Amino acid sequence: MDVNPRSTADGLLAVKTIVAAASLACVIHASVAYAQSVTAEATAHAGHSTSTEEVSVAGAQLRAFGDAVSGVRFFAEAALAKSSDEDGDSDAFGAAYPYAGRVQVIEAYAERMFRPRNGLLSIRAGRYRTPFGISSGSEQGYVGFLRAPLIRYDGYYALSNNFLEHGADVVVGVPKLTLEASVGAPDEVGTAVRRSDVDSVVRLQGFHGPFIVGVSRIWTMPYQDPRFSSGRAVFTGIDLRWMYEGIALRGEWLTGKPFDGTTTTGWYVDVIVHRVRMGPVTAVARVERTDYDVPARPSRDLHATRQTLGARIRIIEGLSAQVNVLHQSGLPNYGDTALDVGVTYSIRRDLRRH
Amino acid sequence: MRATVRYLLATALSVGAAGPQSADLHGTARAGAGLAPDAVVWLDAPNAPAAAARRIVLDQRNLNFSPHVLAVRVGTTVDFPNNDRVFHNVFSFRDGKRFDLGMYPVGALKQVIFDQPGLSRIFCNIHPNMAAYVLAVDSPYFALSDADGAFTIASVPPGSYTYHAWRAGATELTGTWTSTPGQPLTVSWP
Repeated sequence: MDVNPRSTADGLLAVKTIVAAASLACVIHASVAYAQSVTAEATAHAGHSTSTEEVSVAGAQLRAFGDAVSGVRFFAEAALAKSSDEDGDSDAFGAAYPYAGRVQVIEAYAERMFRPRNGLLSIRAGRYRTPFGISSGSEQGYVGFLRAPLIRYDGYYALSNNFLEHGADVVVGVPKLTLEASVGAPDEVGTAVRRSDVDSVVRLQGFHGPFIVGVSRIWTMPYQDPRFSSGRAVFTGIDLRWMYEGIALRGEWLTGKPFDGTTTTGWYVDVIVHRVRMGPVTAVARVERTDYDVPARPSRDLHATRQTLGARIRIIEGLSAQVNVLHQSGLPNYGDTALDVGVTYSIRRDLRRH
Repeated sequence: MRATVRYLLATALSVGAAGPQSADLHGTARAGAGLAPDAVVWLDAPNAPAAAARRIVLDQRNLNFSPHVLAVRVGTTVDFPNNDRVFHNVFSFRDGKRFDLGMYPVGALKQVIFDQPGLSRIFCNIHPNMAAYVLAVDSPYFALSDADGAFTIASVPPGSYTYHAWRAGATELTGTWTSTPGQPLTVSWP
């Protein structure tokens, strides 16, 4: 199918303009009306990874979120993060935020939720994390892991946790079964920036007892150099969560093509244990594998595995420490083991509550 | 028969829910020179009748537990709905009622019956800044102070009571209070 680049670019610009205007109107209205609840939150973190890749990082995030007017809520987040690994080759501490060395707006959106009887309808517009699989920043960045899964990091020809959409997202269904659809344009702030075009994500999620199962599919553009990556990136994923008595078991399996002539397939399973007798300690473990195949040039294949064992310790209110020990194979230029240590401090203030 | 009448009379006087002499107890919670919002004040009432089953909501919305402090009578069922698009997890491990509701999505609701008196500290394992308190008291006479530190305990029968007052981060206060028409109760933390 031929695509007129000019008309695609115009359509994209129109989508972005409409969404930006709607989002801005909501947020401005919210700040003027100064509604029922507005919360500000600041988080600072620092970390060091010791292995063949010595990496130190520091960063901070500032968020504001709450109720605007007429049931509209807003969320805005900015981040500043710097890594000693200026090339961005290492995925250490890349679980949820990019390290660009400058202030960047991560998410900025307005949303409205409707609850007709037992149903659910939620509409979101603005810039938000790509709603594919287990995508929440908190779920990736706070539970105790200091690196993203291999299949959720941009360095391994997969889907990055830092991908952002600039568009509109709708969730419809009942709490036990929801369908989510997002239409927009890639709007990354990290080192991996997808080429601009209209892209879309659909996700079906079911919830029953201790199980949450999701199926996601994305049609988007590659983030690799256009000189060797053509066509569109298309991925399908299945994610599963299971929880019981303080034990959370999660996993994702993902397959697709990052661009024409290549495939990436991978999975991870992790367990997060926080039982009554463990007090402030949460134990985490993950096993994972990713395979990137280039049939025309097998020398470029990537077959990597990684095992992670770690913990998050809540030291005092707002202050926590994380430690991860990794064993990995198949990642060129990196050693077999790594030790990542990080600390996070977070505070919040309610700015207004009636 | 006489004993039964005496018991019913005593119950009516002590509980006072239907008694004409019951009155609302108004008071103020203070901390140092300032006011103490979100303080819980309750009166001992060991002979109070059992409460009918009640349900109260502690919402998860905008990455907050709302309200931040919830006072309930023992036996109350608290609903924990998730009204955010992100997953939440509700747990209490430290004191009071211990539970972990696991992660659940928007629109879903889980419940906990607070069947013993005590303070439960509520957290979300995914969002470190989400925190709330649920204080279960074995008395029908309790109240939560508002933003101005003011509280009202409804329909308190006349009598002399031991009162308790709690607020986050402070020691529990205890004292006695005797009902006198129009006599407020002031609880003060140093």
